[in-house]
Amino acid sequence: MSKREMPEPEPLNLVPIMNLVTILIPVLLMAIKSLELAVIDTSLPAISPSVAAPPDNIPDKPPLQLKMAVTNQGIRILGANEYLYPGQAKTDDADEEKGKPDVPCKSNARCKGVDDYNWSDLSQKLGQIKKAAQDDDRDSDSVVLISDNNIKYEILVKVMDTSRRSDDGTKLFPSVSIAGGTNQ
Amino acid sequence: MGKKERRVPEAEELNITSMMDMMTIILVFLLKSFSATEVTVTPSSNLKLPMSVADKQPSVALNVVVAKDAIIVDNKRILNLEAYDDPSYPGQKMYRIPQAERPGGGFDVPSLGVAFQDVVSQFDKIGALAKKAGRDDIGGFDGKILFQIDKDIPFTVVRDVMYNAGQAKFSNFEFVVIKTGE
Repeated sequence: MSKREMPEPEPLNLVPIMNLVTILIPVLLMAIKSLELAVIDTSLPAISPSVAAPPDNIPDKPPLQLKMAVTNQGIRILGANEYLYPGQAKTDDADEEKGKPDVPCKSNARCKGVDDYNWSDLSQKLGQIKKAAQDDDRDSDSVVLISDNNIKYEILVKVMDTSRRSDDGTKLFPSVSIAGGTNQ
Repeated sequence: MGKKERRVPEAEELNITSMMDMMTIILVFLLKSFSATEVTVTPSSNLKLPMSVADKQPSVALNVVVAKDAIIVDNKRILNLEAYDDPSYPGQKMYRIPQAERPGGGFDVPSLGVAFQDVVSQFDKIGALAKKAGRDDIGGFDGKILFQIDKDIPFTVVRDVMYNAGQAKFSNFEFVVIKTGE
């Protein structure tokens, strides 16, 4: 019974693969993104195209014209009083301008920073308006953002975030436009 | 002498299998987080982008950077911003476009306007060249701007930049933000 001796298997030479991997790792490390970027879409109300509805297509009720005024006292919601305060007499715009903000700051005075604005309250109020407007057949996706001159960009971004969708992920008013404001 | 000579053991070959295991895992991890985003942000202490839950991917467009110290259009420094003490929040800084940059007193900032016009004419030139070459698909002006704005910049500066861009027929504005994991 002659048995042929099998040659012992040579160990796999991994060195070339190691070379390759060692080069690949620095290349990928350079391309790694430590922070992920995204963009927020907006348009200027004056420039955004307006498409006139054909005459037979005009809805019975005008769609909601929601506006949010961001001040350093808080956020005022304009154009949706009948949904925000149902049963109460609608205050006219002149009073609204002077009145207290609908979403005051947590510290109840001048907001100290982005965290002092009551974002959960704003989100809840916008949700309430959205639902009521849907029931009333006046649903709209757009909201116009009016800002005080010295409001920081960070706060505007947060307002846009909050108006886009609620905490539980339901869509609110995703189409945000920024209004010009006044020059001082 | 012969007695002192010790036999040197033959060097064992280095076992790199375990290192290979590790490298393979690192490679997979890095490939997963590899990004091919064309939008580049130059981080600096004067440009801190705000956080947002937005999830739209940025695309290529004209880059306009509004940092704490300057406005940069298409990698060219157009004007410097001035910092002043915020009267309503003592101790904090506010930023504005210097009065000298707007001789008209309104929203118009001529240096910014010229910068935007330059970009538009460049687009038009490329568009015309492409048309001559029979390529209608490249070089057209799409009116899109990617804004990289520092989170502490006040609305006035944002508005003035947007206004002057709007005057040069830019209409599609996108704000670059840092995506928060949610």
